[in-house]
Formats: sequence, structure tokens, C-alpha cells
Amino acid sequence: MTCAGARPCSQWRTYHNDDTTVRREGELPVIKTTTTAAAPAAILYIPLSVVLSASALADDLRAPEDVLQELIDNNESAYLTQSEQNIMMMPDNAALWTAEEGKALFEEARGPNNKSLETCDLGKGPGVVEGVYVELPRFFDDTGRVMDLESRLAYCMTSIQGFSPEDPEVKQRHGSDSDMMKLQTYIASRSSGLPWNPPMDHPLEQAMRDAGEVLFYRRAGTSDFSCATCHSNTGKRIRASVLPNINEPHEWTKAISWPAYRVGHQQVRSSHHRIRGCYWQMRQPQSIPGSDAAIALMSYWTDAARGEPAILPDKKR
Amino acid sequence: MTHAQPACTAAAAAALLALSAAATAAPPAPEAAYTAMSAEELADYLIFEAGGFDLDAETQDGGTARERMTQDRTQKVCSAIARSGKDLDRATAAKISALADETIEFPEDGVALGDWQRGEEIARSGFGYRIGHRVDDHDSRTPGGNCYACHQLDPNEIAYGTVGPSLTGYGRLRGTSEAMLKHTYQILYNPNLFFPCTTMPRFGHHGTLTQQQIADVMAYLLDPESPVNQEPAQTAEAESAAAD
Ligand code: HEC
Ligand code: HEC
Repeated sequence: MTCAGARPCSQWRTYHNDDTTVRREGELPVIKTTTTAAAPAAILYIPLSVVLSASALADDLRAPEDVLQELIDNNESAYLTQSEQNIMMMPDNAALWTAEEGKALFEEARGPNNKSLETCDLGKGPGVVEGVYVELPRFFDDTGRVMDLESRLAYCMTSIQGFSPEDPEVKQRHGSDSDMMKLQTYIASRSSGLPWNPPMDHPLEQAMRDAGEVLFYRRAGTSDFSCATCHSNTGKRIRASVLPNINEPHEWTKAISWPAYRVGHQQVRSSHHRIRGCYWQMRQPQSIPGSDAAIALMSYWTDAARGEPAILPDKKR
Repeated sequence: MTHAQPACTAAAAAALLALSAAATAAPPAPEAAYTAMSAEELADYLIFEAGGFDLDAETQDGGTARERMTQDRTQKVCSAIARSGKDLDRATAAKISALADETIEFPEDGVALGDWQRGEEIARSGFGYRIGHRVDDHDSRTPGGNCYACHQLDPNEIAYGTVGPSLTGYGRLRGTSEAMLKHTYQILYNPNLFFPCTTMPRFGHHGTLTQQQIADVMAYLLDPESPVNQEPAQTAEAESAAAD
């Protein structure tokens, strides 16, 4: 990432080096003076909306920090409020840059077929990006399968652009620099503020959601863990992390708001990266991206957040 | 470790899928196969037959990841109850508890306390048994019990989980009678005996803690010298005195 665009470079560097800097008095006067509990987001959003002016958000989309603030204002939740500095730094989320890079990639003619992704059908017709992410996973006629964003993108990159599944453009799934993370972050960001609404009309969508529920509660392995062990109570902690409860949609919407910039990793991460990490903690086998098991789990977890607004891209520990 | 037989329904479903795949040359449309299965069957099918996980990976306990994913009876029953959202009924609770009772093995020389300092390391360490993208190498480090992930223990430790109850003052409050030692050993071996379908892992049952490690953790819980059994202020004072 070069230091370009409308955002002051000094601010960028400060953010990157020390995520807690904003909490110190006087260091970043712009942020400090405007971040009162009442209206931090609107003012802080200005620098980025300048950066993003070429692709101004449509009327019904909302900046992720506004969505989060509203959730916090309307609900009592130790999970939503656990990281004060992350909340304050939301408008300066590095994932917003990743989304911009993804937009350019999406529109660029690439691959052996020299085509852009503008004919890719993500569920609402060729090229439609806005609002598609909150309605995934969904059934696609052309493949006869329920697909999540990642597997659908892989499908479009291979079938439209002519990439092979082994090409790094398709195969590399992790890290802010991967095409996959850039594209996912762009597409997801065009659903920020919209309510999760995965379709359940097709029998396969329902079957996958139900199997995902079984997977979520399925205990196995040397620690007897299931996802529910850690994610079905409110306000409980594992060590110092407050855990989100899948039975509280206002918490679960933040939990599943991926891609998110993970401060601890200094990378934008995907839903599947999170699934892989939690299975690792559970001492269970590695989850395979794009597998129906992973997609079923996402069908269930998205359904569990139904109706609550997505925070995209999010910023997490 | 005991394992249930893999569900034969998954095999039947696989046959169904193979049939539909043969009928069309294109990638198999899973619709007929998937919707013919119950949610449980489909979940098993997605895990064991449809490439959901890297099942052939080796595990630290000398088996494969496939075995890790295969549920035993306790896991199966407790998963279904949790998913139903219902309370555990008495009869099932009694069965789960009896299953635990049958399988608990006591040390030949009786239950005794080990070394609380070693026990503290075990309680703090979350290392061990993780597989997949980063595999814990048990030759480089001994696996721990990760008790702090779920429990408060030393009153001066602030990074503790709350999935389980606080165990601060455990020995101070309950004493170290033989009955108490046995009770604590049973909980660490298989907590389902007293708490059917608890979220606490079965450390002895799975062999993730050895009998010596269980004895050491028990000392951390019960030994009057252990930080777990100090008053918070006392421990802080002792620490500052030691630092002087
Ligand atoms: C042993 C406890 C444990 C289990 C079991 C577990 N998780 Fe997690 N999960 C965590 C912790 C801890 C975090 C927060 C990580 C952090 O703060 O760095 C987390 C984070 C998450 C998040 C993102 C929330 C956030 O704010 O970052 C999601 C979604 C999630 N888990 C889903 C799952 C799913 C699905 C499973 C089962 C496959 C699962 N978890 C199993 C402990 C667990
Ligand atoms: C995944 C979370 C988890 C982990 C890890 C865990 N426990 Fe527990 N533990 C619990 C829960 C939950 C209970 C309460 C039992 C119940 O009602 O289900 C419990 C109960 C107990 C009790 C009984 C408390 C009482 O009031 O009688 C003891 C003792 C105990 N745990 C010790 C340990 C020790 C020692 C370790 C580490 C080797 C450990 N636990 C690891 C979740 C956990």
C-alpha cells in the first residue's frame, strides 16, 4: 500500500504502527475533538468518502461505523463494545482501501479471456454488486449448488476470465494482497448497512442451512468442542475475549461481518479464515474453503443474523 | 478413546449421489441427494464424504483427523440436546453420567496431589492437539489443559474466561479430604459424571492430560500453598515482598 489518495499520510502511518494511538490526548486532534459519543462517525467519515468519491455509496448503504454505532446505541452488549479503540478507528479501516483495490480488479479485463467480472452473476444478475453479499450463500441455477461469495468468485474467475483454479489469482485466498480478499472486500462493502437476508426458497438452501446448524452444534474431537460451546451464551469470555452469541442477532451480525481488518494480524480476513481458525482452536480438522460443509455453516450463521444490518468491512481484534 | 461407527446413511447418500452423477455428465447436482437426507445425515455426509475437511491429516495422538471428527455416544447425544435448545431430561442425564462412571480409571496408587507449580503451567497453557494449518508439535512442548480459557483461578490473573465457574479459592473453600480429592479427579477425568453434557472437556477420558498432569492440576486447585487458594491481597503483598 503506497501513501496516496486524499488521506493524510501521517495519519495512515500512525494507524498502522500503533492502533491505540488515538486514545492518547492531543496526538490526532481531528479524531480526538470530533469523537464524542454522539457523532463520531459522520465527521470521521469525510476523509474516506473523499477517497471513495468515485464510487459514492448508494442511498441505502451505510458506513460501517454508523451501522456499528447504531447497534451499540440500541443494545446492551459487552461483545459489541469490547474494543474501544477499534470502534474509534473504524472510519480509518485499512480494509476500505482493500475494497477500493477490489473495485479496480473487478472492473479490469483480466485472465486468459481478457474479461472483467462485470458479467459475473453474484445472485442479482450479471454485474450487480450492490446488496448481493447479504443474500449469500444462495442457490445458483448454473451450477446447481448453494454457493458463498468466495466459491462464486472462484467460479466467475474460472468460467468468465478463464483462470485455472491453480492460478494464484484464484488459489491464493488469504491476505490483504490477494485478489480474492480484495474482490470479496469490495463486493461485501457494497452491502454495508443492509439487513442479512439469505434466501431460503430453494430446497437446497434450506437443506444447507439445516446441515449448517447441525455442524454448529456438533461436538467432536479431543476437547469435545462445538461452535456452540463458545458462541451460545451472552457476555461470556474465553480468556480476555468477549464471545458473540449466535442467538443474539445484534451480536451475531458483527461476528459474521467479514471481510474485516484484523488488527492482530494486520491483514484483511475472510469468513472462511475465521472458520478455519475456530476449527483449529477446537482441535478439529482443517475446514476446506468452498466445500459444502463450510458453505452450510455460513448458510446457518448468516440466517442467524437475519434482519440485522451488516457492518462491512468490519474491523476486529 | 471409543468411536462410534461412521453413519451408514452417509454411505447410502453417497451411492445416491454417485447415481445422479452418472446420469449427467456435468458436475453432480446435489439437490436430490441432499434433500433426501435428514439434516444430521447431510452434515455427516458433508464432513465425511463431500470433502469438507482435511480428514487424512495425522494427529498428535497417532490417529487421523477423520477419527477426531467421528463422534462418540456422549458427543452425539449432547450435541443433539444442545441443538434442540431443550433442557437435558433426567433419563438422558443419568445415562450420560453412567457412561462417564463406567469409563473413569483411577490411578493404581490412589488419588494424590502432585506439584501445584507444574499444575499452574498446565492450567495456563492452551498448547496441544491443534491440527490443520498449524500443527502443535508435542515433542517441542507438553500439551496443557487451558483451564484459564474458561475459569478464573489465581485471583490475581485478569485474563481468565467465564465459560465455566470461578475456581478461585477452590481448595480453601472445600478442603482436601479424600472424598474431595476423588471428586476433583473425577471431574478432571470426565466431568459428565456430575455435570452431564457439560461444555468442559473430558481430559482423562481423551487422554489429553496424563494421570500425573491431572495430579498436578489438582494440586493447583487444592494445595493450600497454591495461588488459587490465597486471598487476593495476600498474593499481591507476597509478590511485592518477593520483588523487594
Ligand atoms: C473454544 C472456544 C471457541 C469455539 C469452540 C469456537 N470459537 Fe469462534 N471464536 C472464539 C474466540 C475466542 C473468538 C474471538 C477471537 C478474537 O477475539 O480474537 C471467536 C470468534 C469467532 C467469530 C468472529 C467474531 C469476532 O468478533 O471476531 C465467529 C463468526 C466465530 N468465532 C464462529 C465460530 C464457529 C462457526 C465455530 C465452530 C466451527 C466457532 N466459532 C468455535 C472461540 C471459539
Ligand atoms: C471449555 C471450557 C472449560 C475448560 C477448558 C475447562 N473447564 Fe472446568 N468447567 C467448565 C464448566 C462449564 C464447568 C461447570 C460444569 C457445568 O455445570 O457444566 C466446569 C466445572 C469445573 C469444576 C467443578 C466446579 C464445581 O463447582 O464443582 C472444576 C474443578 C473444573 N471445572 C476444573 C477445570 C480445570 C482444572 C480445567 C483445566 C484442566 C478446566 N476445568 C477446563 C468449563 C471448562
